[in-house]
Amino acid sequence: MLFRILKNSFLKRPKAVFLIFLSITMGAAVATAFLGIAGEVSHKMALELRSYGANILIEPSAAEGGGFLREEDLPKIKTVFWKYNITGFAPYLFGIAEFSSGGKRERGVVSGTWFAKQLEVPGEDVSTQGVKGIAPWWEVQGRWPEDADEAIIGAALAKRLNVASGGEVTALVKGRRQLFRIVGIVTTGGYEEEQLFAPLVTVQTLLLQTGKVSRVQVSALTVPMDDFGKKDPSTMSKDEYEKWYCTAYVTSVAKNVEEVMAGSRAKPVWQIASAEGALLNKLNSVMLLLTVLALGASATSVSTSLMASMAERSKEIALMKAVGADRFQISSIFIGETLIISVVGGIVGYFIGDQLAEVISRTVFNSTIASPLWLFPTAIISAFVVAIAGSIAPLRRALLVEPVKVLKG
Amino acid sequence: MAASIIETTGLTRSYGDICALKPLDLLVPEGEWLSVMGHSGSGKSTFMNLVGGLDRPTSGSLQVGGENLLALSEDGLARFRREFVGIIFQQHHLVPYLTAVENVMMAQYFHSVPDEAEARFALERVGLGHRLKNRPGELSGGEQQRVCIARAIINSPKLLLGDEPTGNLDHKSTIMVMELLKELRAEENFTVIMVTHNQEVAAWGDRTIYLDDGILVREERLVKTDEG
Ligand SMILES: Nc1ncnc2c1ncn2[C@@H]1O[C@H](COP(=O)(O)OP(=O)(O)OP(=O)(O)O)[C@@H](O)[C@H]1O
Ligand SMILES: [Mg+2]
Repeated sequence: MLFRILKNSFLKRPKAVFLIFLSITMGAAVATAFLGIAGEVSHKMALELRSYGANILIEPSAAEGGGFLREEDLPKIKTVFWKYNITGFAPYLFGIAEFSSGGKRERGVVSGTWFAKQLEVPGEDVSTQGVKGIAPWWEVQGRWPEDADEAIIGAALAKRLNVASGGEVTALVKGRRQLFRIVGIVTTGGYEEEQLFAPLVTVQTLLLQTGKVSRVQVSALTVPMDDFGKKDPSTMSKDEYEKWYCTAYVTSVAKNVEEVMAGSRAKPVWQIASAEGALLNKLNSVMLLLTVLALGASATSVSTSLMASMAERSKEIALMKAVGADRFQISSIFIGETLIISVVGGIVGYFIGDQLAEVISRTVFNSTIASPLWLFPTAIISAFVVAIAGSIAPLRRALLVEPVKVLKG
Repeated sequence: MAASIIETTGLTRSYGDICALKPLDLLVPEGEWLSVMGHSGSGKSTFMNLVGGLDRPTSGSLQVGGENLLALSEDGLARFRREFVGIIFQQHHLVPYLTAVENVMMAQYFHSVPDEAEARFALERVGLGHRLKNRPGELSGGEQQRVCIARAIINSPKLLLGDEPTGNLDHKSTIMVMELLKELRAEENFTVIMVTHNQEVAAWGDRTIYLDDGILVREERLVKTDEG
């Protein structure tokens, strides 16, 4: 009977039903689309943010006292648990040198590094590691060094030595000399402008530090720190530690890398890690807020449509009450109606939203996305939530209908 | 002497300053057919609605079928209405998008479970066996009123209330409806309270009470001549 009442009441008011259906469908579609691309947006955004600098710094641990890391450990960075989150790294070996060019002499830092090194690790894909990858904001006038005696020089140091691209600089360290051919002037906006960058091997030879590295900068995709992530791992229970280790917090990735680099201490570069985390958190909040707003808008619209039809339905409600329908029975008719509409609206909304996410992802990020499985129930639940939220006020009004007043002869 | 199905003492109903029903003491024995007369605005509908559990009194006591209506919650009153009362209004209040048989079944649905065969039988009893699948808009006024009667009796109420059920009908239809009610009452033994402006309609009852400005001013017991 409930079914007959619902069926006939639908057929009787196709326009009103269609309007409600439309509101619910749109709400579900927008929720599906937003939530569908939210993951994608975060990921793309995180990748983009990685170009603002390394977020993990590996240095020799004070306890070991050696003062150096081993170059031979570097390939292991590509084998750790979080290897797919590590987008790049670059080693550095620093030393003080006496630079001379033309008639000028200046003391400064000579820095050996990888610029764009092909790294082959057994069992892993070949990758290119070095400064070029992790510091895309470095502006090089000229080109990056390729040969062992080529170097790029920081803009400030270049100015003091009065050297330009194509010039030569001799570095003197404890009586040993190395002639560098300058192929580029680098501007970074930071301390790097006071240094001379040359291939790692060359600097190792010059400094008599074969196979040694002073520090490594690592760029990794991480999740924003939350309260759990901030806990001290040494105080965690076994389960907690496992959960912490398996979440891509910047601290757990750092710990991961530290484990493979002998005598190292890896620490997050907090300015960068926390700024990134804050940005990603904000982005997620914005997506969530938009979803909630969209759902709120469609709930309002459902409510308005139901309210409008309530005027013409008050007689019918009064009659049902006069015949003996209690509040539960009246409610089940109304909620039944909106729930049926919302199931259909949720399904249709899901498919529209999925397409919408596809289109957005293609036009904005130039990529396709696989919609996650949980999106379907989410769409249906969003539709339910919209339907229920939109029904509250109209249902209240329905329950307040006084048969005596409405059915007056 | 039959037990009273309705017992009111000092029953009043006011709307702000307007006192629609002044303290009313009334006993209605089980099985009686009571007609209620009075000019427009005298409080007839007010009285009916109180007795039918559609409205709540301002003061006084009201017992219907042993149930103290003042003590019932909103849902309690709804249960009372569906289990105890059948109501027929002046306007044929039917759900426009349901057919005749569905309108009757709706009352069954709220009461317990819909039973189409039973609903069809009720419509046959009121002479509408041939219009089961018609919607109210396709029925004449008299036919609609008969659907309302079928709906009112479908759950075997103890009390049948009619608020000017023949008010909109012509003479012939009026007689038909009244005859029908009389037959049904003979079979089902329910108590009838019938509000009317029509002396002839009132004469169908056992007793007539007259309201004036919310006060019971007069009552008349009718001597049945047609049953002798
Ligand atoms: N909801 C209400 N609010 C205020 N006053 C009301 C309300 N309902 C009824 N009244 C007043 O109560 C009085 C009795 O009304 P009631 O409907 O009982 O009269 P009635 O005898 O049924 O009249 P009629 O023969 O016209 O149907 C009238 O004065 C009416 O104006
Ligand atoms: Mg009236």
